[in-house]
This record gives sequence, structure tokens and C-alpha cells, in this order.
Amino acid sequence: MKADALVAKYETKRASILEVLRLLQEHYGHITLEMEEAVAQYLELPAINVREVMTFYSLFYSEPKAKTRFHVCRTLTCALLGGEEMVKHLQEKLGIKAGQKTADGKFSIETVECLGACEIAPMMQLNDKEYIGPLTKEKIDALIK
Amino acid sequence: MPKLTIDGKEIEVPKGTRVIEAAKKLETDIPYYCYHPGLSIAGNCRMCLVEVEKMPKLQIACHMEAMDGMVIRTNTEKVLKTRQHILEFLLVNHPLDCPVCDQAGECWLQDYYMKHGLYDSRVNENKVKKPKAVSLGPTVMLDAERCILCSRCVRFTDEISKTFELGIINRGDHGEITVFPGKELKNPYSGNVVDICPVGALTDKDFRFKMRVWYLKSGDSVCTGCARGCNIQVQYNLDRPHHTKGDRVMRLKPRFNENINKWWICDEGRYGYKFHDHNRILKPLKRTQERLEELAWHKILPEVAHGLTSAKSKLGVFLSSQLSNEELFLAKNLFKDELKIENVFLVPGNPPGFQDDFLIRADKNPNSKGAEALGFTSQDKAIHAFLADCEKGLMKGVVVFGSDILTGLKEKKVLQAVQKLEWSVFIGSNHNLMSEYATFVLPSATFIEKDGTFTNFEGRVQKFEKILEPLGEAEPEWRILVTLARELGIHFHFDRVEEIFKEMALQVDFFKGMTYEKLGMGGSDIRSMAAPTIPALEQDANIL
Amino acid sequence: MEKLISKYFIPGKTSFLADYLADGGYKAARTVFEKYQPKDVVDLVKQSNLRGLGGAGFPCGMKWSFVPQNTGRPVYLVVNADEGEPGTFKDKYIMYHTPHLLIEGIIITAYANNVHKAYIYIRGEYVEPYEKLKKAVEEAYAKGFLGKNIFGKGYDLELVIHRGAGAYICGEETGLLESLEGKKGFPRLKPPFPAVVGLFGCPTVINNVETLSYVPFIVNRGAEWFAKLGSDKNGGLRLFSVSGHVKKPGVYELPLGVSLREIIYEHAGGIREDRKLKAVVPGGLSAAIFTADEIDVGMDFDQLRNKGTMAGSGGVIVMDETTCMVKALLATMRFFAHESCGQCSPCREGTGWVHRILERIAKGGGRGKDIETLLDICSFMGGTTICALADGAAMPLRSYPTKFREEFEYHVREGKCDLDLVRHSEREARRIFI
Repeated sequence: MKADALVAKYETKRASILEVLRLLQEHYGHITLEMEEAVAQYLELPAINVREVMTFYSLFYSEPKAKTRFHVCRTLTCALLGGEEMVKHLQEKLGIKAGQKTADGKFSIETVECLGACEIAPMMQLNDKEYIGPLTKEKIDALIK
Repeated sequence: MPKLTIDGKEIEVPKGTRVIEAAKKLETDIPYYCYHPGLSIAGNCRMCLVEVEKMPKLQIACHMEAMDGMVIRTNTEKVLKTRQHILEFLLVNHPLDCPVCDQAGECWLQDYYMKHGLYDSRVNENKVKKPKAVSLGPTVMLDAERCILCSRCVRFTDEISKTFELGIINRGDHGEITVFPGKELKNPYSGNVVDICPVGALTDKDFRFKMRVWYLKSGDSVCTGCARGCNIQVQYNLDRPHHTKGDRVMRLKPRFNENINKWWICDEGRYGYKFHDHNRILKPLKRTQERLEELAWHKILPEVAHGLTSAKSKLGVFLSSQLSNEELFLAKNLFKDELKIENVFLVPGNPPGFQDDFLIRADKNPNSKGAEALGFTSQDKAIHAFLADCEKGLMKGVVVFGSDILTGLKEKKVLQAVQKLEWSVFIGSNHNLMSEYATFVLPSATFIEKDGTFTNFEGRVQKFEKILEPLGEAEPEWRILVTLARELGIHFHFDRVEEIFKEMALQVDFFKGMTYEKLGMGGSDIRSMAAPTIPALEQDANIL
Repeated sequence: MEKLISKYFIPGKTSFLADYLADGGYKAARTVFEKYQPKDVVDLVKQSNLRGLGGAGFPCGMKWSFVPQNTGRPVYLVVNADEGEPGTFKDKYIMYHTPHLLIEGIIITAYANNVHKAYIYIRGEYVEPYEKLKKAVEEAYAKGFLGKNIFGKGYDLELVIHRGAGAYICGEETGLLESLEGKKGFPRLKPPFPAVVGLFGCPTVINNVETLSYVPFIVNRGAEWFAKLGSDKNGGLRLFSVSGHVKKPGVYELPLGVSLREIIYEHAGGIREDRKLKAVVPGGLSAAIFTADEIDVGMDFDQLRNKGTMAGSGGVIVMDETTCMVKALLATMRFFAHESCGQCSPCREGTGWVHRILERIAKGGGRGKDIETLLDICSFMGGTTICALADGAAMPLRSYPTKFREEFEYHVREGKCDLDLVRHSEREARRIFI
């Protein structure tokens, strides 16, 4: 079992929790409460501790994800270089506000804190993977297509 | 042993003592929220920041170990200003719930504001919204907005009850206490989290909206729920009877006792107080075929005495491990020694139940050990023989103290046996099946309405004191016994329980050398152990 | 000036094992196993004046010497690759372009401290750098540079890459340890310090990616050489992450003590559109800002501390005359409010409160005593908390309204930005921070 291999790398079962949750998320898209309880049992932890981790860290999804997810940075450098305008543009084009998902589940917008890519500001992370920047309205339009 | 100076006063403490504990020994006030002597150190409220010589930043007294030569100052301007600002931070998002919050009057935010705050609010922003009036479980209500995230409750469920129900989710000022969705805060000690919550975030469902705490008075006592004898404080209301339909006891709180229960009591003990005000036998009753009549004490006792004399040895006496040492001693003296009755039995007042490795004992009676020390043993065979004799019509009467022998004994057909008797006497505080059948029903006081001592399962003798007047015409069992004895021509010269204890200490090996005064009340107020020590707002010192 | 680490920063290229070896890689690690005792390595790093380049600037060799050996418990090495300090992106470059350099630094450091199990805690958002690093680690294992009996010297070293999940506070030493142990990233009370009680209660060395990446150079070329590259007590070079209103944002490897003016105008090409400089963040978002006439300062830990700010993570954020300082501070405090772990009251409540005040001021709802309130709040956020996040929030919070007092007062009084009057016509034409 893949999860067992993950757990084996650590000195305690609990220490593997981030990797185990990530594994589940990669496989199922998001993590439901049932899965949280299953993880708790698997790692021999109280269920509430899994809930705490799920809500403390930003990268976990408790709800189904949109197909295309725009995470636009809003911290200082990106703000200095027009990040706010990029968000406004996205909001206009998709008809939703930051923090929301389109009704058809295709797109979502989040404003996030510094991703460590200030040299390509204003920038965003696409689908929790690629860093894209410097953004322009045209680039955004292209991504939406 | 390290010697340190706090506010100019020197003190020597064992190695490993924390500064906050050293300060307490000097009776120096250092305010705190998250610190609790019975829980691990969290160090998150930052209220206990103090000045340490040679250190540029203030340090938290709850975490810092007292070192030799340390010089601490707890009341410099820097410390006082910092405290004020920490308090301000804690109040930034705190809702203005005082008018509807149960904690008002015993709230540490209110108390510390009066002592360390006294500033004008300058918060002009919206406060963070969180869930309110959330039922966490059968006993506890949560208001997440009021919570200051001190984490005492979380540490309690991790370290003391070890049931791991509670946690803090989310980050920053959106942090919330919660249980896992679908799960509950449900364990035998859940009520303790309400005690340790410094604010009105966790409140007791049982006490919710019942009574404002400044109307409460309190008295110290001992829980009778099991053989451990946890120290408790009985908080009652006499000023506002119209708010509580005449109920006097409003709630029980634990008292700190280093040896028996530390800061905690179990839920069964905590919530088992309703019987003091409900379903009480209020007047002496005589039951005949035709009717049930109320009879004054001075009329009913001669009849009981007459029954005892005429029955001679054809009767049985059931004593219970709910009775105090003094009452058992008197009863033994009267029935066994003076009246020479053979059939004197001790039965458990309550049947045994659940036991754990923390506080709860299987024996649900407060004085089994005391009874044992007084020479009582379990006599199931003899009881069986006695009841058999009753059925055969060989017995005339039975005197029952407290326990409901009709339902409580391991025997079958006890009712038939009792119905064959000429008379029966039930002496107890609350109605039960026995009191529905007995010929004579004598109302007795509950343990908060009389003085006495219990011996817990470890052999510790604990005193309990009269806090309230007995309801109706109830009398303490010991006084009933003294008066009954007088009717029988036997003179027990006892006006006070101490006198009985003194006599008992002379006659019974176990109690030799003990004195009633020295027994003390055992524990102490948990509020003085883990609470703000500020002058009371009212003249009643019990209300903080 | 010779490039040490940054010579590997060729766009799109990663120096995997073959390249790295061809370039003389892993020579330092081999040398250390053959010629040095662990204590020698610690002394070497001490003499090099290598400072902690993640932000604290603590002398690296001295930190290593705090680790107690012979406690009966294993010593761990944890590499802080969380790189959360806004304005900083240099570790990303190291892990992407030359992960083996980091691994070599890890091996040497492990040997110096008797470590047989090391973790790299890399922030969860760094997906591509993680993949490069992962491949490099696999290569190192395959080659016998990691695992059992490394370099054939009978020394075991396991290296686990552990990914974070999106929390800036997990870049704080003890917050990182808590996160690595599977809990929320709540920083721990200190003392005890991680060197003594760290991961799983064992003595632990925690170092930043860049700090460890310089170690092979120190071994290969000597401590004195490295120390001389920098300034007094601040040895060597460091990677400055320059961003903001400059023509050439990017990573610049320069000596400790280099002038800030030089960084901005010589290396980063000066202000875009040749505008006027207004303010600079010298060392990551937690640092107090400089105004345009304060940039003739040597960028090392001691000099910047003496100027009331910090060298921090080396993240330089440049703000030109089109910047509204109120909005810049708002973006800053919004970050801290979002990232506060919430454990202790001054940070949890203070950052949120300050954020809301600034939002109100930025939207035009400023009131009379707001600035005094902000300054008062930051006096008590700093120095009262479990970890330094609140101090990091308090420093910019104090410096912005202090150094740009008039601008803030204008905002509060007039309910709008005084830049609007000047820049109104230009706002449509350029991508101006509004």
C-alpha cells in the first residue's frame, strides 16, 4: 500500500499525515470527512487531530475542486505590480468572485499569499502546480480558453 | 534549592519550580488564563509576562523555571502596561455578551479588566463571527466567539480525561474550539471543562440561564456518589427562590484536594444534586390500611418506640453505607448494644456500578469503609435467613435507614416478606418504593443539611458540614436516633456531632487519636488554586 | 565577482548528477569523510563566519556547537526549504537548478553533527523544485552518496523530502518541527531550543537551504577565503532576491555587506521607467523599510540591525514613487494576519485587528487616532509572543507610518490617497498599484 511506504519513512505514524492526506487528495481530488476519519484510524490518531491539520494548512481541499484553479498571489510585490487588477480581470471574465467556483465547476479563483515567485510578479499558480507570470490580461484570457 | 527574588521578596523553592508557582507561594498576584497547575504548560495567553532582570524581553512566568539569583518584578510600569494591552488583545474580538452570558460574575475577563484593564475601548472594527450556542455534547455548551483559545479544555481532554474529543481548528483569529463533526464531548468527566474555562465559552447545560452567580452562596462538603469522596462545594440560592421554583442547590463544583480528587469531579457526582430539592419526604407519615396521615415528631416517635419494645428480638434493622460514621456508631450502640437486636444489617445504599482508573469507584456509597471500620460486615446469608423468617411470619417489624430494600437487595420477594410484618419504619430523605410501603416514614436530612464524617475507600476520614437547613420537618438521622433512644429510656448525651465523634474516637480503634477539629475540611477552593485572586465585588467572599 | 551558487542558475537547466560531478561536485563531501573529524568541520564553518541565511542570521557554526552529542538520542538534521518570507525566492532556484549542491551541503553538515537521518521540509507550493530535488535525491541514493555506508565510509545517512501544506509559520524553526511531527505548525515555547530538544524530542540541527549550500564551498576553498568574501563577522556571499519596481527582478549573488544602492541600481537595473525610488524592504516582509535616502547601507546582518531593521532572508522589495504606502502596508499586514497560527493572543488578535484598521483606512474610513492606535498596538505585539512572527509584523507596522507619517495622516484625514491627485491621468496608462 502506497500509504504504508509513506508512513515507513517517519519515526512516528503521525508525522506522515501531510503526505498521506496529499496522497488521498491526489487520488480522489478532495478529502471528505469520512476520509479524515479513515486517516485518523489508519494513523492511530484522534479524529479531531486530522480535522485540525485539514483546517490549518491551506493546500487541502475539503470540497470538490474546480477543473481549472487560478491561485493569484496578493502579497506585496504582486500587489505592487498590479496583482489586484489581474484578479479583477479574472473575476470579470469568469463572473465569479475570488474564493468562488463557477457553477459548472470548471473554474475557480483564489487569492493566495506569497508563493515565492516575486521575480515574475504579478503571478499565479495554476492547478496547484505551475507558476505563471508576469501576468497580463491577454495571458489570462489565453489560459481561460 | 534555587533562591529567587520576586518584587523584593526572597523565596527558596525546589528545583524545577516555575516562577508563577514561586510567586503564588509569596502570594504575589500574577494574572493568567492558560496556565493550570493540573495541566501541561501552554504559554499562549501571555498574561503572566513579567520582568526578569538581565533579560531584555518580558518572560512568561508560567513556563520559566526559577533559577538561583533570579530577580523578578511583576508590577513595573512595563509589566502593567503590557498586561493591559494583552487584555485588550483578548477583548478585540470578544462579543459583548455579558448580559446573556452565564459566566458573568465569575468571568476572568471581567475580573482582570477591573484589576488590570480599566481602559477605554478603541476597537472600531467588526469582530470575527464564530458559531454560538453550539451543543458539544450532553453536558457542555460552546460559544466560540467568547473563547480566548487558551486551550485548557483541549489539554484537559488530552491529558486528564484522555478522551481526545476537543481540538482547535483553523488558523489565526479564526481559530475555534470544536469536536470532530458528528462526534460529541461525552466522557465521564466532561463537566470539568466548564470549571476550567476562564470565560463563558464553555458553559454547563445543566446550569444554563439558571441563576446569576452573584446570588449564589456556597458551602463545602463531600460527594456521596461513590466511595472516593471527592471534595465538593455546594452552591445554592436562597435569595431568589422564585427563579428556581424553590430549588436551593444550583450546582456543585469540585474543591481541590491533593490526595483524593485534585481539581476534578466526575459528571455523575457533579450533576447528582437534584435529590436535595426534589422528591423529598417533608413530614413524618403514618400509614394505615385506611389512610396516610402526617404526624408530628413528638407523636410518631413514641409509636415507633412502642413498636420496637413490643417486638423485642423479632425485628431487623437495615443500616446503609450512606450513613455517616456518627450515625452508624449511634445506630450500632442503640440497636446492637442497648436493645440487643441480633438482626442488624449493613447494606449498600446504592448498588455497585462502573469503575475506572481515575476517580470513579464501583462502590457507589460514601461510607462503606467507615462501616467496615465500625465492625459491620456483609451478611447476605443472615439477611436471607431474616427475610425467610419474615415470610414465615416469625418477625414483627423492620427498621430501614435510607436504602430501598424493596429494590436494592439481591433477594427476591422482599416485598412479600415485608408485607408479612406488623410494621415497618423507613427513615430517609427521598421517596422510594420502601417509603411507599412503610408504616412509619420519618424524613431525614440529606448530607448537606447535617454535620458528619465519611470514610472513603482509602480510609481517609472526611468531614462534611451543615450548609442548609433541612427541608420541611426532616431531621438528621443522628438526631432521630438520639431522640428515639430517649423514648426508649436510653440516654445518649449528644447535642452535636462532634460529641458523637469524640465518643467514637474513644471506643473504636480505627478512629483512635482523631479529633473532629483536626479533621479539617480536607480540600480547598479550586478557585484559589487556579483563578484570579482579586478582592470580591460583594461582601460575600465566596463570590469571585 | 566570482559566482558560487548562482553560476548554476541557467534558465531551464538543472545540474543533475552527471553535470554536477563533472563540475567537481561531491569533492567536498569526499574530502570531509577522508580528512576531517566532525569537530573539524564545525570549527571550519565557525571560522568562515557563515550566517543563517534563512532570516535569523545566527552564526551557523556556533549553532551547530550547541547540539549535545552523547545524549543517547539520535541527532537530526532538518533543512528549512519552506521559503515563506515574501520577497524571497532564492531557495527555489537552488533546489530547481542545483539540488545536488544542497545535498552535498546536507551530507557534510550531517557528518559534522553525527546525523544519520535528515529531512528536507519543502513548502507544498514548490512543485517543480520538489520534482527536481526528488530526482537528485534518487540519483544520490543510487550512487551511494545517501543511504547506507555512504562514500564507502561506513556512515549511514537517510534523507527524506517532506512537503509542507501551505503555512508560512511552518518556516519558523519550531513551527516546522511541529509540522514535521504531523501536527499544526504551532511554534514551541523556548527554551528548550531545537538544538537540545528538537524533532521527536531529539537534538536537532535546523538550517536554511542556502546556508547549507555554501558549506561545500567552504570545505573546498577554506574558511578564511569565505569569510573575506563578505564583511566583518558576516562571511561569504548571499543570494539577494530582488523584486518590485526594478527593471531586472531576480536572484543576485553578492557579498554580505554590499550596498543596497548597488543592488538596486547596478545589479537590478534601477527603477522601472526610471522613476524615483520611494521605499525599499531590505530583508523580507518582516523587515522595517528604508526610505530612498537610507539606501547607502551595507547589507549584512549586523549593519542592518544597527539601522533598526534586519538582513533577514535577503528579500529586497523595491517601491517607486507610484506606490501608496498605506496600501503597501495593508498588503503586508494582510499577509501576517492570514498566516498567524493563532496560538498566542498578541499575534492572533493584533494582526487581525491591525489588518482591519488598515483596510478601513485604505477604503477611506480612517479616523482621528488610528495612527496612534496602530503604533501602540505594534509596541505590544513585539516582544510578547511565543515566536517572532508578531515581531516580524510589528517592524514594518512601525516603520511605515513612522517614515511616511504625512502620507498616512493624509489618508486618515482625507479618506483617500494623495497619489490619486498626482497620478490620476497616468493610472489608466500604466499598471499602477492603486
